[in-house]
Order: sequence, then C-alpha cells, then structure tokens
Amino acid sequence: MTPPVSALRRLRHGALASLLGLAAVTAPAAHDLYLCAAFNNGSRVMGSNDGSANGVFVRTDDGFRHLGLNFPLIISVTFDPRAPNVFFAACLSGVLRTLDGGKSWRLVTGWEETESKSVAVDAHAPDTVYAGLPDGLVVSRDRGQTWRRAEHGLPERGKYTQVVRADRTKQGRVLIGCETGIYLTEDSAESWRRVWLTTDTVNDLQQSPHDPKLWMAVTQSAGALISRDGGVTWKKLDGVPAKKALYNVAFDSRDPKRLAIASWSHGLLLSEDGGVTWTPRHAGLPGEGTPRVWRTAIDPDNGDLFAAVFGQGLYVSAVSGRSWRPVPGMEGSSVQTFTFVPRSGP
Amino acid sequence: MQRLLSLLSLCGALATMAQAQPATTSPVPPPITDFATDARRTAYLARADEVLQWYVDSIKPDNPATFNSGQIAAKLARREDAAAVSARVIELMSRPQSQDMFWMFPWTAISFLGRDQLTPEAKAAIRGQWKTYFPMRGDTENHWAMYYTSLYLMTELYPDDPAETWFTGKSSAENRAEARDYLIHWMDLATTIGQGEFNPTHYIGEYAIPMLYLATWAKDPEMKIRGWMKLDWLLADLAENTLDGVLRGPNARTDDTSVIQRWLALSSYFSWQCFGNTPPPPGYGGFGVWFAIAAANYEVPEVVQRIAVDRQEDFLQRDLKRSRRRWRYSDELMALVYKTNYVRRDYAVGSYQGGMTDPIQAHVWDVTWAVPDPRGVHNTMFSAHPYASARAMQMYFTELPDHMLELLSSQGKPSYDVPDKILGCSPYEQVYQDLDTVIALYDIPADDRYPRVNGFFSKDLVNVTTDPSGWIFAQGGNTYLAYRPLAPFHWEHLLGYKQLPSTGGYKWERVDRGEKGDKLLVSPHAKNGTIVQAASATEFRDFSAFQAAIRALPLEFTLSPTPAVKMRTLRGREISFAYGQAPKVNGKKVDYAKWKLFEGPHLNAERGSRKLTITHGRLERVLDFNTLTITDRVRGN
Repeated sequence: MTPPVSALRRLRHGALASLLGLAAVTAPAAHDLYLCAAFNNGSRVMGSNDGSANGVFVRTDDGFRHLGLNFPLIISVTFDPRAPNVFFAACLSGVLRTLDGGKSWRLVTGWEETESKSVAVDAHAPDTVYAGLPDGLVVSRDRGQTWRRAEHGLPERGKYTQVVRADRTKQGRVLIGCETGIYLTEDSAESWRRVWLTTDTVNDLQQSPHDPKLWMAVTQSAGALISRDGGVTWKKLDGVPAKKALYNVAFDSRDPKRLAIASWSHGLLLSEDGGVTWTPRHAGLPGEGTPRVWRTAIDPDNGDLFAAVFGQGLYVSAVSGRSWRPVPGMEGSSVQTFTFVPRSGP
Repeated sequence: MQRLLSLLSLCGALATMAQAQPATTSPVPPPITDFATDARRTAYLARADEVLQWYVDSIKPDNPATFNSGQIAAKLARREDAAAVSARVIELMSRPQSQDMFWMFPWTAISFLGRDQLTPEAKAAIRGQWKTYFPMRGDTENHWAMYYTSLYLMTELYPDDPAETWFTGKSSAENRAEARDYLIHWMDLATTIGQGEFNPTHYIGEYAIPMLYLATWAKDPEMKIRGWMKLDWLLADLAENTLDGVLRGPNARTDDTSVIQRWLALSSYFSWQCFGNTPPPPGYGGFGVWFAIAAANYEVPEVVQRIAVDRQEDFLQRDLKRSRRRWRYSDELMALVYKTNYVRRDYAVGSYQGGMTDPIQAHVWDVTWAVPDPRGVHNTMFSAHPYASARAMQMYFTELPDHMLELLSSQGKPSYDVPDKILGCSPYEQVYQDLDTVIALYDIPADDRYPRVNGFFSKDLVNVTTDPSGWIFAQGGNTYLAYRPLAPFHWEHLLGYKQLPSTGGYKWERVDRGEKGDKLLVSPHAKNGTIVQAASATEFRDFSAFQAAIRALPLEFTLSPTPAVKMRTLRGREISFAYGQAPKVNGKKVDYAKWKLFEGPHLNAERGSRKLTITHGRLERVLDFNTLTITDRVRGN
C-alpha cells in the first residue's frame, strides 16, 4: 500500500496550492503539513450527530484531505522518524497509532490512560514514546505497544501534562509542560526535575530549529518563557503580555528571529527580532475585537504565517500577518495542531 | 470539556411522535399496596410493555425517521416484523454513524435482541460498524460505563474476532479484558468510597441501563452478577432519595429544568418503571425504552421497592459519595461528598457539605415537598451562589481556559455563566443540615464574578410572607417553610430557558413568565447565608403557630469577618456553624471522618467494605461485592 506521505510527493503546482499556503508554485514543498482539526465549532456534544469529518488532515495540492479516522478530538500527531507512515495521535480516548499512514489504527493505550494531549517520540530511540496525560505521563519502550507510568520526580498532584517535547539532539532528554511548571528528564523519564515553577498550566513548549539549546514556552498565566541552555533555566519574556493565556508558540525555521504566538485574548503576536518585541498581526482575521487565535504556525517551506481562529477556520498570510486569506476547505474549523513533516523523513 | 447528551433534545424529538403515553397523562399511580411477588412482577412488566407499545405505535410507515433505533429495539423485544426491522437496520447502518457511546449501547442491545431475529445481512451490517465507526470513549464515568459495557458485551458476542475487525484495533479478547478491568475498577470505587455522579436526575440511565445489559446478556457469570448487583445498588440509592418517586437534591448532576420541576427527569422513568409510584416523564425520559427492552430480565427487589414507596416513617440517611475526577489545580483526585438525606411523608431535606464537587450541574441542597401530582409543579426551595470560573472548569476538563464558559451554552448548559443561575455548586458555599434545618453559609470573594446569593422561590408556594423578624414564611403542599436570608435582598422574576431550533449545538432564549413564574431572592452580598427550616403542617395548629415557633427560636448570626450562625432548630437542637469550621450540634463537632458509605435505617455499608445491606422492616438484602453474592432474608425468622 502507498503511504499518503509518498503520494503527496507528487504535488501538482497551481493556484490552489498557493491558496493553501503551499511553497511557491514554482518549487515543490519540502514538508508535508498535517493538521489536527475539528469542524464542529468546538461545540461538539457527546451524543450529537452533526455529520462533520474531524481528526487528522494532510495538505495536498487539491486541498486538505481527511485521513481515515473520523475523531473529533485528536489533539496532536507525532511521527516516527524512521517511517513517515507510522505516527501517533493524542486524542480523547488515549493514544492512537497507525502503522500504515492512517489507513488503520490501534488505540494503544488502555482504560487508565485518557485524554492525552501530546505525544513525543525520541528521535534517537524511536521505539521510545512519551504520552502526556491529565494525571501524569506514560512511556512506551516498544513503539506504543505497551505503556507504563514514568513519573518519578513529578509531584503526586500537579502533574497534569499538556505538552511533551523530546530534545532532538540527545537521547532520553525530554521536557514537559505541566500545571505546575516545566519538568526535565535526561534519563528517558526514569526521573524528572522541575526546572520552572508555574501556578497554571504550561500550554506549549518548542525547541528552536536553529539552535537546539533555545527553547520557548507559553503559559496560561505566566506569559512566555525562554531558555537558552536547553531548558535547564528559563526566564520570562518581558515583551509578551502575561495576563491572559497564550496557547502556542511557533518558530520560523527559515528565519531565527521570527516567532509567532497564538492567544485567545491577545490574538496573533509576531516577533521579528528574536522575541524582544512583539506586534499584534491579526487585523483582518475574523471575530469581533481581538480574534480568538487558537493556534499558529510558520510554514518551513516559505515562511507563510498560519492562524487558526477558533471555530472560524484557518487563515494564511504571506506578508507576516499584514493581510490574511482563508484556507479553502478549512472554513469553520478549529485547528488543534500543525505538524510539518520533512519529505526527506520526519 | 464535558460533552454529553442532553436529554432535552431527545425528548424534543420524541415529542414529535405525538402518541398518547398512557402513564404520562393518566392520574398519578395509586399507592402500592400489593407487594406479592406476582403482583409486583405483573405490574412491572406491564409498565415495560407500555413503553414498547408506545414506541411501536409511533412508527409511521411513510416517515422513515420514526423508525429509529428505539423503535427497532422495541420491535425486536416484542419479536415483531424481523424482516422489516432487518431492512431498516441495514439502511441505518449504511450511513455514517455518530453519537459515540450513546450509539454503542443501543446497538449493543439491538445486536443481542436480534441474535435470532435479524437477518445475517443485518447482523453483519451492525457488526461492520464496530470496525469502521470509531466512537469516542468520553471523559467521565457515565460515558465509560456505557462505552465499556457495550464493548464488553459485543466482544462476548463476537468472542474470537481479530484486532483488525474492531475500531480499537484490538482483538475481542483484548477489548473484553480492558472493558472488564475498567468496569470492575469502577464498581470497586463506587462500593468503597462512593458513587461518582451521584443521584443524577438524568444520568441514572447511563448507569442503570448498562448494568441491566450486563445482568441480561453477559456470558461471564461474574460480570452478570456484578451487573445485577450494581443495578440493585443504584436503585436502592434512588429509592432512598425519592419522595413519592421524585428524585430530589442533592444531585451531582441535574439541569436547569429538573432542579426546579423535580419530577421532569429520567429518574422519574426509573421510579415509575421499577417502583410504580410516579408518572413517567414525556417520552419515558428519552432513554426509558433502552431499559424497557430488557426489563423482563431483571426483578426489582421487594425491599428496594418498599423503601421507595414507604414514607410513613421519618428516616435519616447519611451517605458517602465522590466528586468527579479533578485533573489539575487540586490536592485531591476525587473529593469525598458527605450527603445527608432526611425524609418525611410531607417533605424531604437533602444536602451535602458544599464546596466544589462537580463542575457544572451540581445541586447542593434543597427542601422538596410532596405534592399530589408532581407534573408541572416546582416543589422545591434552596439557595445557591452562582459560581462560574474557567479555572474551576479546568480542574475537571482538560481544555484550554477561554472558550469553555461560552461553549457551555451551546453544549446544553445555558445557565453556567449567568448571574441568576440556580444550578451548580461553589467553592464559597458551606452547608450543614440537621434533620429538617439547613444552614448554608457563603463567603464569596468580593471580586468574584457574581458576588451574590440566589434563593429559589417557587411559583407553587402559597402564603409567602416577608416577616419583620427577617424570616420569610411560605407553604408548599403540607409543608411549612421558613427561609432566613442573612443579608439584604430583593426580588426578581426567575427567567426560564426555552430551547430554540438549531442545527449546530444548542440555542436558548430566556423566558419571563412574569408574576405567574418563579421568583428569585437576590441577595447581592458576598458575605451571606441562608437558613431554611421545614415542618409538616400537621405539627402546628395553623400557619401562624408555625411562624410564632420560628420567631421564638434563638438565633444569632454574624457575617463579618466570616459568616457564622448559632441557633436552636425547631427540633430543639443547638447548632453552631461558622464558615470554615466544623459544625457543632449540641456542643459536639460533626466528624465527617466517621461518615460511613451508607448509614441509616435502610442502607448500611462501611467505608471500603464493598458490601451494602438494604433493609426495610424485616426484609433485608445484602449485596456483597467481595463474594459476588446476593443474600435475602426476613429478619426475625
């Protein structure tokens, strides 16, 4: 069977591709873009039947294609670096795994693991997979087949885990964003230590594509944080508002000085000087007052800026948010995560 | 965020069936007098048959929408028209499926009912959906009860199927083991530290129906007896907490309608079906059919039915319950709920200690009075702090903070973030109940979203009198009520909710019934309190005598720095209760650590015991989850 990622390598170029925020029409994209999205305006009622298709979508030159499983609450996908057709999805029911590019799935976790938000694969030991849970963290050493708790050093209470990120430079090194701060393991989750204390949830963590020592975090009530030593020490970024929740942060892999933050209350904030100053760039996005920007991303192929507005779809800007255009096929969606997968391999 | 089925929409859909429901529109059932096994059984089965008949009669041949899963199940339960039913099953299964675990348990029932009736093609069509449709597992215990019961039974029905034939990607054996483990884990929790989502006005169906299905169709004798015993347990809990079949507070979960019209709830279907002592709600509560189709496989224990229908003797029950899981921002995964239930012939008083227990639909305390016919009657009195907080929601839901409050309205909970709401608990409310006296104290931060207390005054109260003493006197049915707000107040009309047609989520408008409607006592003060004392009219010469007795009760209270009350109740007990401190009764501190799982004349269980003794008169049933045995005896024999 042909994995969808391979199929996507046969991109056709055209106007639609441009609208979708694909790489310049004259050059094939170097990354596939996977979205986790729901089209029910975030108002899904358990037991409702609105007929929408939700879950994982992959960008093609014909638009975003839904990948098999219709599941309204898939929050994020994470790829096995060895095989682009193997990936994990964090979802309401736990962790899903596909070994065939989304054609078939296994709910690899059991009843004790629920509502996973984030999964990380250790790039240097890809059979090791970490999953953040509302009540802590589990790890698998066999590509997700079996799981065990790995919480030594995490507090008994206070380990709600929103985000899990594996350091791409070193095996066994993982950072997690919890309700009580940022925690670090350097021994593959055998032990954890807190490296930053918060009173509310850390919503996102990202490692710079330019400098693996540089990390950024955004939080619910402590603003944005930056670490220049691989996540060991952190400091607050003064230029970012801190009173309201920040939802995610994105690096531009083409420009180390360019970053974006999404926030329900602050809209879309862009920095073009490495995070020193931040400018609202959400004029033109839908919504009364400040647009409710749910997630943002920067396309590694062309620098296009994405803004997912809650319940109102996905928007793309080729001019750093000075103007926006809707992405066809994603009208009315709420995008949970953007995952760019290099076509040369995750 | 919590995503659930509001039965309002289901009831609305069922209303379109427009067939007369005999028991819903008939006079209130007469008191049960014949407890002979045959008589009880005959009446129970007749009630189930009424539901099935109504469903079958509501099928309109020219309107396929009226031949839905409920009608299919009713037809199969009556063993009618297997060919037509099979054709309809195939048609329905050819479409994309939705509704998650609310899809799973009906189609599980249809699969079992249709084992020897449906065509092979129809059975295959259903079975195929368990591969291609991926229902979510949900985020709370009622979801998990439905999900895992369905998965357990379906994997017993297809015991050896490989992983690729199930939506989970797990084999029959793997699915069955996971489902079994969860269900036993849940039963362990409920039988040791208490039921979560306790005494729900609607969600009782989401627990009772799966347990009936286990009792009916599980092949494994252990799971079969577990299902039966847990259903006994749930119904015993319902029986204890109903007044003439009407479930009153407190409730871990209810809704804006049921919290004031206490009868209008799915729980009333279960009272009608199992106890025969109140009319069923319209559409049999929406879910009634799913119990009725398998009701014949269960027998309501006589001891439980007697507890439900006998209100001749006053009784006091104390129960231990459990909050919903708190994922974050809390030192406890599940908070313990200390529940008091005092029941008399004319009224019942129920409460728990207050605080945050469940995030949206909790109801902490009330006095509910008996009425000859509960339909349309708002026979209850209580107060509440209208608390709304995204951070508190985040304790229970794994969501980002900002969208939750406004989305609740479109998810069927319109009142969560409105100042005049009367539904929900608050971290700033503490409650103590002694028999038929309730003291609720409020110490609300001044910067809270809604620093006020709302008191519910029903349209069905009579003789509402604001007395110069500070008490407000009223009468509901044969119950005299005295309500004492501890801070100044004013009156408002309580606006109701009318559901509007909508294709995406719920939409509502507020409805003002003017002077004919309910009233809200609004006390816009952060430091506050409510005292309610109830009594039977038969205890006093007249209403004036009751008022005089209340006025004569010694009462001292302060609101600053924290609210505190010291009073003598009508029952002559000296209560002192200060916010943040343990209540004292006759000088002795109330020690919640000694609270048992159940303690009272009817239900008794030690904490951690997994063993419930159900008693009425000389009748006794013991449900022992340690040995998985049911033991009946007549005491004194």
